[in-house]
Amino acid sequence: MELPLVNDDTMIDGEAEYLSEEMSPSESESEEDVKLAEPSKTAVNNRDALLDKLGDISWPENVEWIHKLSIDIDQEQEVDVNDDLARELAFYTQALEGTRQAFEKLQSIGLPFLRPADYYAEMVKTDSHMEKVKSRLLAEKQKMVEAEERRKAREAKRLSKEVQSQKLKERAKQKKDDIESVKKWRKQRQQSGFADDGADKALDFEDGKVFERSKKKRPGVSPGDRSGGKAKQAFGKGKKPKKGDVKNSKFGFGGKKGLKKQNTADTTNDFGGFSKKGAVGGSKKRKR
Amino acid sequence: MGKRKRSEKAEAEAVPKKEDVAPERPVRTLLGWKDKNEIEAKDNAASPVFRNKEKVLVTCSRRIVYRYRHLMLNLVSLLPHCKKDNKVESKETKGATLNELVELKNCSSCLFFECRKAKDLYLWMAKCPNGPSVKFLVSAVHTMEELKLTGNHLKGSRPLLTFSSNFEKDAYWKLLKEMLLQIFETPKDHRKAKPFHDHVFVFSIVDDHIWFRNYQISVPHNESDKLPRGSLDKMTLIEVGPRFCLNPIKIFGGSFGGPTLYENPLYVSPNQNRALQKKKKAGTFAKKVKAKTRRKMHEMANPLEPDEFADMWKD
Repeated sequence: MELPLVNDDTMIDGEAEYLSEEMSPSESESEEDVKLAEPSKTAVNNRDALLDKLGDISWPENVEWIHKLSIDIDQEQEVDVNDDLARELAFYTQALEGTRQAFEKLQSIGLPFLRPADYYAEMVKTDSHMEKVKSRLLAEKQKMVEAEERRKAREAKRLSKEVQSQKLKERAKQKKDDIESVKKWRKQRQQSGFADDGADKALDFEDGKVFERSKKKRPGVSPGDRSGGKAKQAFGKGKKPKKGDVKNSKFGFGGKKGLKKQNTADTTNDFGGFSKKGAVGGSKKRKR
Repeated sequence: MGKRKRSEKAEAEAVPKKEDVAPERPVRTLLGWKDKNEIEAKDNAASPVFRNKEKVLVTCSRRIVYRYRHLMLNLVSLLPHCKKDNKVESKETKGATLNELVELKNCSSCLFFECRKAKDLYLWMAKCPNGPSVKFLVSAVHTMEELKLTGNHLKGSRPLLTFSSNFEKDAYWKLLKEMLLQIFETPKDHRKAKPFHDHVFVFSIVDDHIWFRNYQISVPHNESDKLPRGSLDKMTLIEVGPRFCLNPIKIFGGSFGGPTLYENPLYVSPNQNRALQKKKKAGTFAKKVKAKTRRKMHEMANPLEPDEFADMWKD
């Protein structure tokens, strides 16, 4: 039980020796407070000599303020050194206050103090340097704007997904309703024996909406074209047409016309599907 | 030999100028020769014309690092009344060499940047030939080239100086304030001084360090240089730089030497700081060993009771 105590004592002694060797003390980084108390006694602070020297070097008393241009600002509160923001704020307010007072004095003397906009002279930082500063500021702003946009796009996408699904549902529902109402109307007509004038009852399933042709241009497709007009499109976007698209155009609504109407203005003069020589049309496998 | 005589003569000439005695010859002004009596009559109460003839010599030691060299160059551009000189050898920092250099260049004060170990920057601020001198440790250096300091001002325009009120607290602060004022304030009629005031220096004492900031004064004005009262409120300050923090180490009575007038009790040299850090780290292994032995002693001193379940899983 004695050994651990001895160990501790020697440790403390070692540190004390090290401390007394230093002439000037350290600050709060040190572990003990003994350091701080000691050197303040040995530090020199010869106030009289300092004031003498001050008298030696200072300018004569009645020098006008314009030579000194110095303002003393009161520092109201103690500023914590480690709090960067507060410290810089304190400096900024000191400068602002000082400038205001100085400007008032200068104004009373009547001297110009602001640089007019058309006064061009050499500045302390070169123009090229200021260009760099400007580009950096712009880049920062750009980054912020982009981040905003990205965030908004994410949000919008989320929303639009929902909106789109809603719309699809709506459309499907609408279609169903239309077909239902046509069927109903037909049934009604059947039941009432095809005898009405059509004025009453009328075709209220129309809802006042006239059938609008879809604004999408239907491409003219030649009859021998098995891709349904989608082969040519591949070039435009650089990728092959999706299978769904091809199938849609052949078998879907508003796509390939089927064999009922084959010619449009484009295809009348289009002889791309025909080769110059030999058999025209027909499958190659066909036996002759 | 010749150099010595010239320097002595310059010294002899410098002294009466610094005492601000009225010039004996009639002063020559732009409008012609003016008689001494006329000038005195113009000024109030027998004060001669005060001409601020401050000239600062700015030099550095060899082996200075790029960051501190840029700081020095920034200061050179901020002070139009300075003269930049070549690097001085490390041996020449002691003794009279620097003083002679200052005399040679006919300067009245000196800012000497001494960089040691490529890490620590010491700034000597001295009034020559027999004025006091101060040695500072410079820290927290940001130069004007940093892109976050976006302000800009006229080169050579006279700055407004602001000092925080705690410069009046003690004698050494007062002395420092006077030195800072004289060195950093551009003389009024200097050749290179530009007419307007568009930047402001801030010297403030926080935690017994002197912090330096330099701001550009920007006022969104659409009128000419006469300011109506209202737009004073819209004045903003943009930091130009450089930024540094001075820690006074010692104040000497003479220039680059002499009796010590003031010693900072709270100053720890950066070498000692580093040594302390290393010592803290160095002790960890020894402490660990000690902790182990302590634990062993403790265990031996307080033996555990035999465990009931020790044999439970034994095969």
